[in-house]
Amino acid sequence: MKHLKQRVVALSLVALCLLSLSETAWAGKKFNGVWRVTITIPTAPGSRETRTFTVELNATPREEDSLHGRMTIKDENNRTVSGVWRQEGKMVSIGYELPCTEGSPCASLVMRGKMKNGFTTIKKGDVIVMWDTPNDSNYALYDTSKGSFSAERLE
Amino acid sequence: MLKRPIFIALIAMLLAVGVVSTPKAVSQTQRTLVGEWLVRSTPIDNEQFSRMGNSLGFPDRDMFFAENGDIRTGFVAREDVGVAVKPLGVWRQEGNRISATFQLWCPDSNFPCGTIVMRGEFVNDDRIRGTMAAFFDEEDATRPTGFDTWRFNFTANRLSSGGGQ
Repeated sequence: MKHLKQRVVALSLVALCLLSLSETAWAGKKFNGVWRVTITIPTAPGSRETRTFTVELNATPREEDSLHGRMTIKDENNRTVSGVWRQEGKMVSIGYELPCTEGSPCASLVMRGKMKNGFTTIKKGDVIVMWDTPNDSNYALYDTSKGSFSAERLE
Repeated sequence: MLKRPIFIALIAMLLAVGVVSTPKAVSQTQRTLVGEWLVRSTPIDNEQFSRMGNSLGFPDRDMFFAENGDIRTGFVAREDVGVAVKPLGVWRQEGNRISATFQLWCPDSNFPCGTIVMRGEFVNDDRIRGTMAAFFDEEDATRPTGFDTWRFNFTANRLSSGGGQ
């Protein structure tokens, strides 16, 4: 009985140490790096048809004391624009302006997702699309849509 | 004999039209968001808070926009909170219309977390106006986006043409 108690205490201590170590490791993980991001959004305001496209996102580390970081986003046509990111634990928020191209209307994208698998993947993230078309019947005063994204860390 | 004075008068008229119209045309093509702006916000329909109780209030904000090719960046100088507090954003411009997206600064639960999307247009070279929509990191199934949303008007006056740091 005495040995059992000692084993339970020892196991508890080991578990506590492991938990504390993983918390420390977790706390150091940052979103910055290179990611391949696949985004699915409607083709246009009010459309049920969707389009899926892939971008490469290069998030630079946050400056000292900053809660936000910058990034560049390169699309399949090698067009590069800038974006911003914010991280809270495993959750990351990304904002960028979708370039206006023929066949894809202009929009702002707000993406939120949870990093998993050692901060290497994001699955089933949410995308808010705010289009450039005014719409008085939408609370945001412009057309909005919902989309989704997934991401895989490359570097 | 009469043809020459008419011809000269015609040339003079064309030159006069050119001189008068050129500055306006140049001015319009050169409109840019790059610079420092004092942004003032006001409620829409007197809505002070979002449905979930989130709000940013209506303080004046000092916003900076810069451009390097297709890379268009911006930040808000929040010296009221701290010298290093600079919420970051990006922007886009199509003719007279501007669009920008900024992250909210939320170091702890006292500050609402989310993202701001601006839509506006130039009133003249140094003044813009439009609306902002705040999409907070809090779910609200009643909104089309599924997230708590809050909207307000803004007007901004240019303070300088520099892009800041």
